[in-house]
Amino acid sequence: MINQTRVGRQSAIRIFAHEYSDANLPLEGVGEYAPSFIITKLGAKVNRALFGGVIDRFERRDGDNGPSYSGQLRDATGGTHRFQIAPFQPELHADAEELLARFESGDRFLMMMVGRARWFESDDGGLFTSFRAEEFCIVEREVYVNWLVETSEATLRRLSAYSASLGSDNNSEALASAGVPSDLIEGMILAKDHYGDFDPESYRVGVLQGLSMALNSNGTIESIMAPPEQISQPEGELDISPSIEAENGSNGSKLEPQGNVDDVILSAVRNSSNIDGMPYDSIVLACIEAGFSRELSEDAIEDLRDIKCQIIEPRFGFFQILD
Amino acid sequence: MTDYEKYAAQVALVKEECKDADENDVAEEFRRYEEEFLIEPNDAVRSVILKFMKASGQEVKSISSTPTRVEKKVDRFADLGSEDKNVTIEVAVVTYVPRIQMVRGEEKQIAFGWIEDNPWESNDKRERWDFKDWGSHSENLAPNSVVRLEGVSVNEWNDKRSININRGSRVTILREGGPAVPALSDEPVTIEKASEKEGYVNLLARIISLKPDVIVKKDGSGTLDIFRGTFADSSGKISFLSWVPIDHEVGDLVKVEGAMIRKFRETPEVNINDRAKLEKFHDNNFASTEELSQATTSKIGELRNGMKDIITTVQVESWQSRTFTNSDGEEKIVRSGDVMDPTGRCRLTAWCEIDPKPGDFLHLSGARVQFWQGSPDLVVDNSDQVSNLTDAPWEAIDPEQHWVELELSDLVTSGSRRGIKTRGTIVAIRSDSGIIHRCPECRRILRESTCVDHGVQQGVEDLRLKFVIDNGVHNAPIILAKEPSEKLLSMSQEMVKEKISKSSHEDFLAEIRNNYLARKVMINGRSLVDVQGAMILAEEVTFDTTSNEDAANLVMQEWGVLL
Repeated sequence: MINQTRVGRQSAIRIFAHEYSDANLPLEGVGEYAPSFIITKLGAKVNRALFGGVIDRFERRDGDNGPSYSGQLRDATGGTHRFQIAPFQPELHADAEELLARFESGDRFLMMMVGRARWFESDDGGLFTSFRAEEFCIVEREVYVNWLVETSEATLRRLSAYSASLGSDNNSEALASAGVPSDLIEGMILAKDHYGDFDPESYRVGVLQGLSMALNSNGTIESIMAPPEQISQPEGELDISPSIEAENGSNGSKLEPQGNVDDVILSAVRNSSNIDGMPYDSIVLACIEAGFSRELSEDAIEDLRDIKCQIIEPRFGFFQILD
Repeated sequence: MTDYEKYAAQVALVKEECKDADENDVAEEFRRYEEEFLIEPNDAVRSVILKFMKASGQEVKSISSTPTRVEKKVDRFADLGSEDKNVTIEVAVVTYVPRIQMVRGEEKQIAFGWIEDNPWESNDKRERWDFKDWGSHSENLAPNSVVRLEGVSVNEWNDKRSININRGSRVTILREGGPAVPALSDEPVTIEKASEKEGYVNLLARIISLKPDVIVKKDGSGTLDIFRGTFADSSGKISFLSWVPIDHEVGDLVKVEGAMIRKFRETPEVNINDRAKLEKFHDNNFASTEELSQATTSKIGELRNGMKDIITTVQVESWQSRTFTNSDGEEKIVRSGDVMDPTGRCRLTAWCEIDPKPGDFLHLSGARVQFWQGSPDLVVDNSDQVSNLTDAPWEAIDPEQHWVELELSDLVTSGSRRGIKTRGTIVAIRSDSGIIHRCPECRRILRESTCVDHGVQQGVEDLRLKFVIDNGVHNAPIILAKEPSEKLLSMSQEMVKEKISKSSHEDFLAEIRNNYLARKVMINGRSLVDVQGAMILAEEVTFDTTSNEDAANLVMQEWGVLL
């Protein structure tokens, strides 16, 4: 209705991990009930999202206020959706414990989750996006693939809006007449003011992957179901990953990787001036600047933490050298 | 009555401040103020207090330093006094209506409307006041926005307080609202445009219906003669109500200046008073009465609360009559039934003798819409408004299969409708799904075995499910009553109850979540749309059976994707 006097419930944006984790523009609501958003490069205004993927990490922390949980779902774009369950969400704790038991027994499975956008700004200005879980469940493949198709469509819609916006002035009338759907206009204006030029093609990769999975139902899904093996891959294997990057087109980085990714991470963490440790996003940024892909960097961080035990994560998202 | 008794209330106020004052002296003072200075006792309180304070040698500073230019910051209107100036408060703007007013011999654009305090809380915790904008702040006072007002003052008139937003006041937007209300312009607008806003408009339109009517004054002091009718142009039609006689006829093209658009329920209506001007206008290119009446036929899907003078055609699904006794003790018959057209279904109520059979087609004219249980229903008052058609205007609709499919986005942005079908993904399972207890008197849901109206009750068990469905752009809550819930769960209410008693309510919710969250469903039912948003009452919920492969192919086709 035109005369809506209350802020209604925010719709759940269908979004792939790649687009969401690339975003670094928060829009904070003013007032007690005003919603906050993460604006992506394609102009999605994310307050609530529906996302899915295979469970990749899941752990519990016990704090003064009760347990909290954090984890990651890896989706078809290869990126991960980070999520948290807070101590003040006791209604989710029973399900989280059940999930933890299954995860720790070595089981991996597909999940769907509805979450609210959260972010964290590091001292050096890096912005970390994640979600606070609202509802989640373990799903059969069919349901996940259905989400892939929906999210592909939503991403195509944003890609098309983005390309429509290219020749247009950055105001609502001009964008509307260029064909940008009304729900994307506000986010598009903010995104175009904030982000520099980028190649939107990298977002098409997730779309193609999602759609091809839906078409040949027994195909490539196993490849994302197998990240634990990737972590234990020897270092030599990891070095060939920049070619995967070229294939995925992710981050559009044309730089030749300089040196070994582990060295980049270790020196970045060692040189961090932050007492709590180096924020995750800053490490990834350092790796990307050195020419490594985001996926490769993320895997290498986990490898250094879990396998080689050269770095530790005393606080979620912050890394220190293990001396 | 002695002076003391007459002024007891005011005397008590004075005594609070001046404990040593003699009550009779104080009362005498109030009498003097009233009789000699013609000042009402309530208005005299301040002066009397001052006088007695001075008399007793008390410090009078606190009173004489009346708040003049000191900023007063409040959260609620209730904290404001009638003379407060330079007030700072955060409010929600409800309406903003510009108008031209003569101020000291000069035409000035001012505006009035409603604002509500406590803007970050729900509506029922707010207080609503009128405001006047003397400072042309229309850009910053868009309806639905939340703003901080600084330097505004309180105005009291006939015991009613309101806020004056002055030229020097500052308005800061805290949360954006809808589009700003445009300043007045002399240009006529289309009816479609005029219907979108409230306030003063100029129109160029043809009168397509006109009849005199009578309004009974609320205070019982008599009646008022008015005129009702309909304007139309090529963009649509709109009802009007005129408080002044109309010297034009049906078919006349008129230019309307300075009329006022007001919402009657959900339907905008043009109000014409003695300030508005109606002039006959000549334009041979303007659509003719015949063309306009053709275009003004309504479909069930377009009905909105408050609409009048509706021309429509419906197919009858069922028909009943009921006898009742009205408040005057007269026995009356009301007839009603379910009717359909290709865009949906609704109820038709007739306060006249018509007895159609199921399957008949009725052509209605001059019908009106009444809201019943949240959905717009048609009403006819006179049998000459109804004609039974012999030629079917469409192939007979099968009522069992008649669900009009609508995109969720279209559904939540239009009016309430029956007989709709829509799709969406379940993104929330409400924790009050499951077995509930209703009040045996009024069917309201009991909270801790207590009904709001009927107190502690032995509740009647019922089953319901509550979800939220979402398509990525819009969302709506859906409610399933017992029957559709049982069908979806493939469990009877008894089975659900047993299940919950064997484990727990949380386990039941977890199971629902595992089976339905993130699943795409199809819903048959009805939608209720009001200012709070949309809600869907589901009559049937089933999983969307479109295969992923088909869905993917459709997406690739629509967006031109090649793998």
